[in-house]
Amino acid sequence: MKVIRDDLHVLTGSYVLDAISEAEREEFERHLQNCPTCDAEVRGLRETAARFALACAVTPPARMEQQVLAATYRTRQLPPLPAGRPRRERRVHAVRVLHLPRRVAVLAAAASVAAAVALGITQLSAQHQLDHARDTAIARVVTAPDARVEAVRTSAGGNVTVVTSAALREAVVSTSGMASLPSSRVYQVWVMSPSGARSAGLMHGSSLLASSVRPGDRIGITVEPAGGTSKPTTTPIAVLPV
Amino acid sequence: MSRPDIRQPASAPDCELDLAAQLALVARGDHRAFELVYGELAGPVYGVVRQVLRDPAQSEEVAQEVLLEIWRTASRFDPARGSGAAWALTIAHRRAVDRVRSETASSRREQKAAEPQPAEDDVAEVVEATLEHQRVRRCMSGLTEPQRESIKLAYYSGYSYPQVARLLGVALGTVKTRIRDGLIRMRDCMEVTW
Repeated sequence: MKVIRDDLHVLTGSYVLDAISEAEREEFERHLQNCPTCDAEVRGLRETAARFALACAVTPPARMEQQVLAATYRTRQLPPLPAGRPRRERRVHAVRVLHLPRRVAVLAAAASVAAAVALGITQLSAQHQLDHARDTAIARVVTAPDARVEAVRTSAGGNVTVVTSAALREAVVSTSGMASLPSSRVYQVWVMSPSGARSAGLMHGSSLLASSVRPGDRIGITVEPAGGTSKPTTTPIAVLPV
Repeated sequence: MSRPDIRQPASAPDCELDLAAQLALVARGDHRAFELVYGELAGPVYGVVRQVLRDPAQSEEVAQEVLLEIWRTASRFDPARGSGAAWALTIAHRRAVDRVRSETASSRREQKAAEPQPAEDDVAEVVEATLEHQRVRRCMSGLTEPQRESIKLAYYSGYSYPQVARLLGVALGTVKTRIRDGLIRMRDCMEVTW
């Protein structure tokens, strides 16, 4: 028994460097649960290995940032683990959306609920889900190769995010954590240009598609009387560039 | 998009505190915090994936997956168990290694590895000449040649210890011991305190 344990303990280094097979990894992780010494050693060596990575940092291609940031808007996050449950290293499967041919990506996103989830519009009503054309349009913008992301906290709390594709001249506006308004008030979205503001619609769900946006335009959100207005009547709680 | 420049060495303690704090915000869906995390980790993530995979296009793809994985699983980061950088870069290395193992004819890779190896910083792009880089280099030079070789083949080339053993023509147990002893020596040399 002693021999086996020692043998496993020697694996700390190979485990940290991912130099063991999947089967051994699982066995070793089970062992770690019952071997505080091994676990402590693994943690220390993992910090060391991280520094190997820091030491070989290479600036990635600039386009990567926008692609990753845009992808976060269509990627649902894992909830926290329930407290007190022992943590186990788990292999998680890749979310591979970025390098599909664009048309396929759009279809995939539209066909699944991925597009809805992506924008945090998980609480979509059945009515919204029927609005297939809209979801497809949203998916097209967030998966566009030139998708750009801007996010800001509103002066009334909550966050607004705008994903714009200049090529498509469309922008997806989504909100999260907004204060709920009395039934006499609504959040209204505006496309603001030097020639004035035009309504892009009322924020009913948590996202909305604005069409015909041009570079230099800005997206604004105001609180308006129910039903909306033709021109903003209050100071915007958020303004973002597109 | 504007993003504050946070290019301090990632080993600075306040920087790491910051990364852990940002990851906690990311876990709650904060996209701005994720931009900061991206700024901090994209370089090392891409760098380590490049080391293992070599191919730039594939590396970019895998690096994107890793960064998205950081977004997706931020709630699983536990600061009590290690630094944010260690958590994230563990994901990066493992993902790169998984990719290599899932697709390459290992015999061909092993054959290639038997040829003279480029130094770990000979990737096409210039590795950022950081303090960290100097430090790792210096500590590496304090290892025995067999330790250094085993660690480099495992970490930078992504070989399993049985593959390393075959490449070097030594027993499995020998390789496991070399890797562990070498890493412990590296740890002590670099005085891992974040």
